[in-house]
Amino acid sequence: MGSLFRSETMCLAQLFLQSGTAYECLSALGERGLVQFRDLNQNVSSFQRKFVGEVKRCEELERILVYLVQEINRADIPLPEGETSPPAPPLKQVLEMQEQLQKLEVELREVTKNKEKLRKNLLELIEYTHMLRVTKTFVKRNVEFEPTYEEFPPLENDSLLDYSCMQRLGAKLGFVSGLIHQGKVEAFEKMLWRVCKGYTIVTYAELDESLEDPETGEVIKWYVFLISFWGEQIGHKVKKICDCYHCHVYPYPHTAEEREEIQEGLNTRIQDLYTVLHKTEDYLRQVLCKAAESVYTRVVQVKKMKAIYHMLNMCSIDVTNKCLIAEVWCPEADLHELRRALEEGSVSCLAPQPGIKKRE
Amino acid sequence: MLECSELYFNVDHGFLEGLVRGCKASLLTQQDYINLAQCETLEDLKIHLQTTDYGNFLANQTNPLTVSKIDTEMRKRLCREFYYFRNNSLEPLSTFFTYMTCSYMIDNVILLMNGALQKKSVKEILVKCHPLGRFTEMEAVNIAETPSDLFNAVLVETPLAPFFQDCMSENTLDELNIELLRNKLYKSYLEAFYKFCKNHGDVTAEVMCPILEFEADRRAFIITLNSFGTELSKEDRETLYPTIGKLCPEGLRLLAQAEDFDQMKRVADHYGVYKPLFEAVGGNGGKTLEDVFYEHEVQINVLAFNRQFHYGVFYAYVKLKEQEMRNIVWIAECISQRHRTKINSYIPIL
Repeated sequence: MGSLFRSETMCLAQLFLQSGTAYECLSALGERGLVQFRDLNQNVSSFQRKFVGEVKRCEELERILVYLVQEINRADIPLPEGETSPPAPPLKQVLEMQEQLQKLEVELREVTKNKEKLRKNLLELIEYTHMLRVTKTFVKRNVEFEPTYEEFPPLENDSLLDYSCMQRLGAKLGFVSGLIHQGKVEAFEKMLWRVCKGYTIVTYAELDESLEDPETGEVIKWYVFLISFWGEQIGHKVKKICDCYHCHVYPYPHTAEEREEIQEGLNTRIQDLYTVLHKTEDYLRQVLCKAAESVYTRVVQVKKMKAIYHMLNMCSIDVTNKCLIAEVWCPEADLHELRRALEEGSVSCLAPQPGIKKRE
Repeated sequence: MLECSELYFNVDHGFLEGLVRGCKASLLTQQDYINLAQCETLEDLKIHLQTTDYGNFLANQTNPLTVSKIDTEMRKRLCREFYYFRNNSLEPLSTFFTYMTCSYMIDNVILLMNGALQKKSVKEILVKCHPLGRFTEMEAVNIAETPSDLFNAVLVETPLAPFFQDCMSENTLDELNIELLRNKLYKSYLEAFYKFCKNHGDVTAEVMCPILEFEADRRAFIITLNSFGTELSKEDRETLYPTIGKLCPEGLRLLAQAEDFDQMKRVADHYGVYKPLFEAVGGNGGKTLEDVFYEHEVQINVLAFNRQFHYGVFYAYVKLKEQEMRNIVWIAECISQRHRTKINSYIPIL
């Protein structure tokens, strides 16, 4: 009755693995899940172990696969997961897999970079069109008020020369226009007022549709603003403040004809960009779909390969017999299963059988 | 008031204290440093760090690995932890965290202003700024010509605003004035921080006040050391010393008159804590005064963890983590430049 509560009888076995067949034997052992390895190299630090180079290679492959999976998920392509998990790849296939993955990564990075550039361009052009459209309504109001500012007394300690320049207001009036995040508008206005001491007029309006931010990719609300200022120094300060708050500044057209010209040019460019962008996105999707078919198997294969090398790192090396010695815990009832697994592993490499020595 | 922090502390801050103690337990040990010093390349360093609490923080870095990439990733990691603490904190711990970030903010502002003087672009310098001291108005700092401008236009709504009381002046900011501004801001900041801790009372005051006093005295010594041979007058020098430390007032007066290292050492000999520190300078290890001060700082920060229910653990943890990052960067530099003679000059923490 007591035997119901006892665990399985275990024994400690020593395996002698030929260096040529060690990988396959461990792969067969791993598939069966029979044994636990003891770490025979405990005082050796992790970067001084024998198979460190192979582990690094596996990690490099893992990094590429993580990047691939990320891109596939971003493009919303379904990732098929197989039902059975594939075994670790034989050593001959590893080099081929590595080359394939590296080539795929380089291609993917390039195509994604191009696509991002195109997309950013497109967003900038769209923002510019919105800005032109909205600031058209601002300008009408400003033009009416301009004459009254000629009497504005100069508060700056400028020389007499600048005073006379102030009279010819139209020449020195400058405009800065662009888009800014909704959350930053208040702080932006406050800082402008403090720094420029009232020498600027700021008008802004909210954009109805939310646009994507080219840097972060999130869709947020934007405000279109128009700052009119006079004085060159104020102009420099205004530009610096715009940089500080990460506003997207676009050149402001001074006349109505210029504005219409720019708008037409923008429209044609936007149409062209849309076509090119569609083509790039289609090509990218093709590449990703093809990669998605085999990504799952690869991920599992690389994981198993890395695990095998970690276990190999735990074995001690016998230089005289050129073999690896591993100490494992195995249930006594499964010892013949263990022998069979080792035979299988060495048969697949056509080498003499490894020996097992039992130890309690 | 009864000193009963044990009864109320855990209600608001218990979770964060437990978290920070867990983070402290995962600092690198002496054995880790020995292993790191044995590495031949930066790749080995990365492999060893994977077995520590750092884990795969360098996993997505493409080759080749450089010391600056390691440094940036470590800083990002510390920043993430710090922001997690701050976002989950309640008053008055949140104000304590804000005080902690102020010193980094001051450094960032001075860095940006120096960059503007040397006509470098803002983006170049932003990369070098410390992530813990980031704030939105930071990039607009280079518009200001004088300290009052700086205060009125840019910094008036940041946490740095109260520290500008002694610094308002109409002198244009050139190199010397920027250093003076930095030291004056830091002095006001330390005194405000000290007052905050003292008013909070309880175990926090008992733990934080000695730490801040040491920081103030250390500042005084370093300012004196750096001012030998410059045109800074003795009266100006005295105005830069923080007044909250042990050296105030006689020590500071004597320090202001010192003209070389030996005179400074004689001033330190009057104080039991600083005498052994100055005696350890030089010697066979070639330690500088700053190394000695770092060691002492590590010791008092580790002691902060011996008491419970106070905010000093957060301050101590961030400082210890920074020392650990300095150690790792030192070892990484020695490895990458293949100059291994002084590789063991790091300061072990645990």
